[in-house]
Amino acid sequence: MTEGSARAVSVEDPEEVARKAGQDSKITNVPEGAEWNAVERAMLERRSIRKFKKAQVPGYLIRRLLEVARFAPSQGNCQPWKFVVVRDTDMIRGMENFCVEQCRKLSSALDYATMPAGSPRYWVARLKAKLLNRLRPNMLHPVPVTAVTAIAEGRFAVFHRAPTLILILADKRGIGDPAVDVGICGTNIVLAAQSLGLGTCWIGLSTFLNESRDWCDRLGVEAPYEIVETIAVGYPVGDTTHLVPRETHETAWFENGQKRVVY
Amino acid sequence: MALLTWQERHQFPDWDDPAQCRFQRVTVDLDRCDGCKLCTLACPANVLEQYGEKGHKKVRVKASVRGCISCNNCHAICDRGAIQATQHYDFSGYYRQFGRGEFAKPRIF
Repeated sequence: MTEGSARAVSVEDPEEVARKAGQDSKITNVPEGAEWNAVERAMLERRSIRKFKKAQVPGYLIRRLLEVARFAPSQGNCQPWKFVVVRDTDMIRGMENFCVEQCRKLSSALDYATMPAGSPRYWVARLKAKLLNRLRPNMLHPVPVTAVTAIAEGRFAVFHRAPTLILILADKRGIGDPAVDVGICGTNIVLAAQSLGLGTCWIGLSTFLNESRDWCDRLGVEAPYEIVETIAVGYPVGDTTHLVPRETHETAWFENGQKRVVY
Repeated sequence: MALLTWQERHQFPDWDDPAQCRFQRVTVDLDRCDGCKLCTLACPANVLEQYGEKGHKKVRVKASVRGCISCNNCHAICDRGAIQATQHYDFSGYYRQFGRGEFAKPRIF
């Protein structure tokens, strides 16, 4: 080994080497019609996974996901999130049972579609549903109502028997809209998971847990924090990476003083 | 100006009326489907089922089941490209959808 090369190696900082490698892997000049890069592929191949293998995900991979979550952008860099990781089967089953019970209550009180049409019960539920629809139009959208009833009837699950749950709590005092920041942060988690061969599913119904003093105590959910979303993580059953069709969206495009519409 | 009329803003669709709550439009290519049932596992709404005689099994949408959200997880998991949702859900009144174009796979630009 010459003296020169020995000196070159000794000044190589490992962090600097990794940084250079990262820059090299970036395609800075993308020609029209280029294939998807690795990041885009992860976005396109990500599906919500609801059937997981029993095998637990190694702890270090979950730490990896939390690490990328930490670097998500947030309003005013307020980072209004807090994570709770649950990997105990019994605890997850307990959370599942609680949420299923809440779904049963909600469904039997409101979902008139499951009741004999014209019966007094039907009309009472229908009246309540129509009123609540106005007050909570997002929660009582026909899609989540259908899911809640499916869960109540045992045709669907809340946490899908995932081996690991990452609860994302939001600090209610966050700048602007903390729920948006939680969404951005969770997107880091699910895309990183996809790139690591893991399946994920966003579970909004986990917000039912906020209503239980007992579960809040056990999970350490205290004001000003509240559960906003949960991400179920596990190894997916089957290869779900075939690209899928999805509708295009009308997009207004303003350029050169002209407006056009693209899809 | 608003896309929803005053009347629409105050009309919440009846959950039990398929004319007001239109869910699935899933098509199965019976020539390609070998009834392997993988899609029934992937379906988040649990609206798919296997049917038919042994050796000639196929998959179909369960009769009178609400809930297909056109997520196309069935298509994503199918090795034979036999099944896909071809239309998004839509509702009347308050939840009416806007500006949705044709279904398309990821397009390269």
